[in-house]
Amino acid sequence: MDHASHGHHITPKSLLIKVFGSLILLTILTVAVSRVHLGALNVPVAIAIAVVKMMLVVTVFMAVKWDNKVNALVIGLSALFVSIFLIFTLFDTAYRGDLSNVDRVPISDQQRQQSAEMAPADAGAAASEMPASGH
Amino acid sequence: MSETVAVPASIDTSVPKNYLNHDKSIKSWLLTLDHKRIALLYLVTISIVFLVAGVLALLVRAELFTAGETLMKPDTYNQFFSLHGILMVFLFIVPSVPAIMGNFVMPMQLGAIDVAFPRLNLASYYIYLIGGVLVVTAILAGNIDTGWTFYTPYSARLGSSVIFMTLAVFIAGFSSILTGLNFIVTIHKMRAPGLTWNRLPLFVWSIYATSIVQVLATPVIGITMLLLLLEKTLQIGIFDPALGGDPILFQHFFWFYSHPAVYIMILPAFGIISDLMGVFSRHEVQGYKFVALSSVAIAFLGFLVWGHHMFVSGQSAISSIVFSLITYLIGIPTGVKVLNWVGTMYRGSVSFKTPMLYALSFLFLFTIGGLTGVALGVLGLDIHLHDTYFVVAHFHYVMMGGTVIAAIGGLHYWWPKITGKMYNETMGSIAAVLIFIGFNVTFFTQFVLGTKGMPRRYYDYQIQYEALHQISTVGSWILASGLFLVLFTFIHSLMKGKKAGSNPWGAATLEWTHTASPPSPHNFDEQPIVTHGPYDYHALARVSGDGAAQTSEPELSESRH
Amino acid sequence: MDQQFDASKMGMWIFLVTEVLLFSGMFVAYTVYRVWHPETFDLLSGALDWRLGGFNTLVLLGSSFTVAMSIHSIQKSDKKATVMYLVITLICAAAFMVVKYIEYTTKFEHGVFPGAHFAPHGEHYAPFDVPYAPQFFSIYFVMTGIHGVHVLVGMGVIAWIAIRTAKGHFDSQYYTPIELTGLYWHLVDIIWIFLFPLLYLI
Repeated sequence: MDHASHGHHITPKSLLIKVFGSLILLTILTVAVSRVHLGALNVPVAIAIAVVKMMLVVTVFMAVKWDNKVNALVIGLSALFVSIFLIFTLFDTAYRGDLSNVDRVPISDQQRQQSAEMAPADAGAAASEMPASGH
Repeated sequence: MSETVAVPASIDTSVPKNYLNHDKSIKSWLLTLDHKRIALLYLVTISIVFLVAGVLALLVRAELFTAGETLMKPDTYNQFFSLHGILMVFLFIVPSVPAIMGNFVMPMQLGAIDVAFPRLNLASYYIYLIGGVLVVTAILAGNIDTGWTFYTPYSARLGSSVIFMTLAVFIAGFSSILTGLNFIVTIHKMRAPGLTWNRLPLFVWSIYATSIVQVLATPVIGITMLLLLLEKTLQIGIFDPALGGDPILFQHFFWFYSHPAVYIMILPAFGIISDLMGVFSRHEVQGYKFVALSSVAIAFLGFLVWGHHMFVSGQSAISSIVFSLITYLIGIPTGVKVLNWVGTMYRGSVSFKTPMLYALSFLFLFTIGGLTGVALGVLGLDIHLHDTYFVVAHFHYVMMGGTVIAAIGGLHYWWPKITGKMYNETMGSIAAVLIFIGFNVTFFTQFVLGTKGMPRRYYDYQIQYEALHQISTVGSWILASGLFLVLFTFIHSLMKGKKAGSNPWGAATLEWTHTASPPSPHNFDEQPIVTHGPYDYHALARVSGDGAAQTSEPELSESRH
Repeated sequence: MDQQFDASKMGMWIFLVTEVLLFSGMFVAYTVYRVWHPETFDLLSGALDWRLGGFNTLVLLGSSFTVAMSIHSIQKSDKKATVMYLVITLICAAAFMVVKYIEYTTKFEHGVFPGAHFAPHGEHYAPFDVPYAPQFFSIYFVMTGIHGVHVLVGMGVIAWIAIRTAKGHFDSQYYTPIELTGLYWHLVDIIWIFLFPLLYLI
């Protein structure tokens, strides 16, 4: 009966409700997990939960599960190219300065450090900004 | 006025209604949903851009005729080469082949009456036009001298004209995205019965690959230009090092689009050349599947090499190495194409009509452009050649020697279909030869200049470079005269050209075999049914020899060898 | 008809790909700066109120659900239910934008601007004046800003679709515009599914 009209798939109401419920639960879960200190694990866990939520929306709400496979391929492609963009950019930014003649520290940071080193010398106003360097 | 011009009655009655004459009002042109008319709107607009940007190039070359000031001040020179680059890349070469020939030919090659979304197609044209208007605004606002690359932090600190220019690029990109989207859906959903993926003309395959790149890469230039805009207006500090941003990140963003964009420019040219090679060698294009799939492979690999524009930017060594290695890989699918084209000519019997002359020029020039590209992908060599005339020569060999030459060849090839008239073959050939000579004189010299260390974009130079610069400038005049001769040939053809038959080249693709020249408003009188491959001239001869219409003949192309 | 529906749907999916790639630029910028300055980003996620962000997540998920329900209803030619679900979607979207407005104005009042004009004050925001905080907030404003624009556009389209449904333009035989709008709206939701943890939680 759900498949009645037009030859198009009609996603059952009960399934939509179940998915909606899971999405709510996962949202609560991701907030809860972020309150717990997991160190390096916090980020991957948060992203993993987001990916699961995305899959639920894509497969059921967007009905890719019952759709033409070409559309699923199209989605896969976009994910692939986003990863390429991200990973290949990180090849640079995460390893910036691995050539010894390029400083790893950006110029703006070097300037900040320099002014921080100069700060204790002229005392007064600068010292109040930098309590850590006090007496 | 059109009422008063006397039209010979004989023509009016004997000429059947075609897409050009079925409705002549201006409104019917400006609001047309016909892919053929939209293609012509693009043809006119894009030709104007090419003319303007070409004249800018001539002026830049003229300035370089002597060391020191020749014609213009340094600031003017900087603006001229920047505008030349911006116009040529974003408003000319990226839309050129897909928007003109893709629009005109591709739906007919599919046996479709139009693209999948005709309204969207018209919208793309107007979005492109808005981009063009913004470019003019930016030019009037003045002092764009960033080059076409808009590198930060300089671009983020320049005057407000950069805002218009980045908006223009953003909006022109939108047009490109919508065209690509339209074409992908068209190729998937609108093919005639019997037109399997293995029977698609190679031009369609290349437009397909191009469209995928357009859809995937162009949004990134959108966000890049948006961020540049915000950097300029709100100082968001993503790209400007003074605010803690990273200018190299801008280059990553920019080239993630702009390198694949190189393949947006060249892939359609490959498609044209494949079709020309088949038709004018009268032989099935050798290695059809490899040629088709190598377009897709190039499209994919094109996304993995953008960092080779940044070898000396200060990016990490590891990324330079990765990008360099993958850059070499692109030589493989490209080589597959070149070898198969040569093989097609070797096995076929070549007729040296004007389009074929352009195809041969392409083969020669593109091979040089491609091989020097691989050379530039070598890390150590690039340190020496980076930002020299060698690079300028390389990409002109690919863009101009590749894409533009192929586009002009394709325009000659489809001209009889577009206008219903033949052009003068002698004039066409002379122009092709002039362009070939002029191009090489202009740009081969620049390879030499580059290896000698002449930096690109410089206004002034040391006296020892002067002789080579002068040769290059003289070459640009030969090149320009060739291009103007092309324009003249076409105008001459419009006024005095002989009437073209529906298939003057004896081609086997649907736009020649099943439509009149020029085609009727809906392309086909009845839905064509495809029974043979796109380059199966034997099947074609059989069909026309029998005088029979397309019937359910058995597939013969497989059994022939 | 079915051919046309198929073509439109494929066109929509390809359009969504371009949207994903558009946002990908921002996600790359986020990742690059996070990798460079992890401690800053760790600290600054605390500057955003996860309760407001969480509320907005729930609201958007709810709107996604109601859009799915509106398609479910029109497939059964239940126009009344379709309009109702679309209106609920609109209300959810409006609630999302109201919360967004509150978040933005509170930040502006405390000198939390994107980029160079970043000068936080007030007891909540003052501690976040650390190096590269402007970058975090620039990314926050640009990402949520572009997303917000998408929500506004979506609201316009959904309102239009709701009116057309009420006028009886759609039924189980023809509902392509509702289906396409739904796809778009789900994408807007998916983007937020990622923005919420990345900006507010970690």
